[in-house]
Amino acid sequence: MHKMNRDELIKKWLDHNLNPKEQKAFEGLEDYDALIKLSKSTEGFKAPDYSVDLEYKSISTKLKTKSHNNWFKPLLKIAAVLLIGLATFYFTSTRNTEVKTDIAQTKSIGLPDASTVNLNAQSTLSYNKKSWSDNREVSLNGEAFFKVAKGSKFDVITDDGKVTVLGTEFNVIQRQNYFEVTCFEGLVAVNYNSESLKLKPGKRFVVINGNIKNEIESNNKPSWLAKESTFASRPLQLIINELERQYNVSVDASKVDTNQLFTGSFTHSDIDLALKSITLPLGITYTKSNSVVVLQSE
Amino acid sequence: MPKQIHQNSCEEHVYSTLFRKHSKNLHDFLYYKFGELLNPKDKVQDAFIKLWDNCAKVPPEKAKSFLFTTANNMMLNAVAHQKVVLRHQQKPQKHSTNESPEFVLEEKEYNEKLQKALANLTEAQRVAFLMNRVEGKRFKEIAELLDISVKAVEKRIYGALKKLREDIKEL
Repeated sequence: MHKMNRDELIKKWLDHNLNPKEQKAFEGLEDYDALIKLSKSTEGFKAPDYSVDLEYKSISTKLKTKSHNNWFKPLLKIAAVLLIGLATFYFTSTRNTEVKTDIAQTKSIGLPDASTVNLNAQSTLSYNKKSWSDNREVSLNGEAFFKVAKGSKFDVITDDGKVTVLGTEFNVIQRQNYFEVTCFEGLVAVNYNSESLKLKPGKRFVVINGNIKNEIESNNKPSWLAKESTFASRPLQLIINELERQYNVSVDASKVDTNQLFTGSFTHSDIDLALKSITLPLGITYTKSNSVVVLQSE
Repeated sequence: MPKQIHQNSCEEHVYSTLFRKHSKNLHDFLYYKFGELLNPKDKVQDAFIKLWDNCAKVPPEKAKSFLFTTANNMMLNAVAHQKVVLRHQQKPQKHSTNESPEFVLEEKEYNEKLQKALANLTEAQRVAFLMNRVEGKRFKEIAELLDISVKAVEKRIYGALKKLREDIKEL
């Protein structure tokens, strides 16, 4: 066997890189047995078993007891603070301003422009201060009288319909089964269902239980601003509802016909006077104890 | 390795991967280089704890050299040159055959000689040779592990083989 070849074979054997032919040649070497014996015996000096999993378990308990300064944690804190700030800003800036009145309470509200709103009892008005300059829009549930400063379109959105004006004075009522818009000055556009009509001063648009009526208003202000509710041919139920809103009472009208029509007014400042104003013309009587009023036919 | 630029050894899954990839090789390296007296397992743990402490500074691709250098330095600091002791693991299956007492004795003597001869190798030769023979690693794998050329590995292993044979003959 050639010297060069012998060295090469041993090196290839060491590198675990002998092909079958070379393997045969290697086995033919005179010191083959000695080499194998040396190699096999060397394997006996193998390092002790090393379990990666066990060692990792052992080291992770040591690592967890250390408080580690991670770049990620402070970043998370900053992100959290930013998020809270942004959320607060977003929430406050887009949230609507809401004004509510209770029973027997009225409120006068100045809107971001020179417009004013008078809110009758048990009504809710909401609008957005931030977007006011782009969009004069209020949502109404209940009754309110608007004095709108001249300017861009002004919208009153109710569950029953939308009222659009440019600069006027008008009154809107949106109660259960009742929708009423009265124009006192300027021009008011009313969108009810798919219909759209324009109200001139002194005109009133009414929807009672789905029936549309057009009426005339002779006063230049709604009477409720003067602490009086006025009705022209309205079902008694509506008057009772309004009475309950103006005085903290509950009315039992089960013994009278609540569909009969009532024309007249009642004051907001004296309940006995108010009850008389309602019952006398209709020929009914009432008994009042605490906050319960019972109506009875004569 | 552009992907690894964004990885950080501080992240637990990265760290765990590094541990699984390098800890056994590091342990074997320390054992074959310094023997059993200096507790290679402890040094592996110490080196990995150092890696954790410096995780922000050591990117994953540099972790291997960091670990090997750190552990090696710890070993050198621990004791200035002790005689290397490698424990010979008995292989029970060999003794199950009907080997003569003479043969067993001869084997024992041979292993003792081999232990001494291994201890006499240079550290570099011993590590490369044992990684090759015992762990069955090829030249290329050892070269990557030790950050040296394949040629250098071959030289170390072949040199080790020659020296071992000479020493065993002499002893």
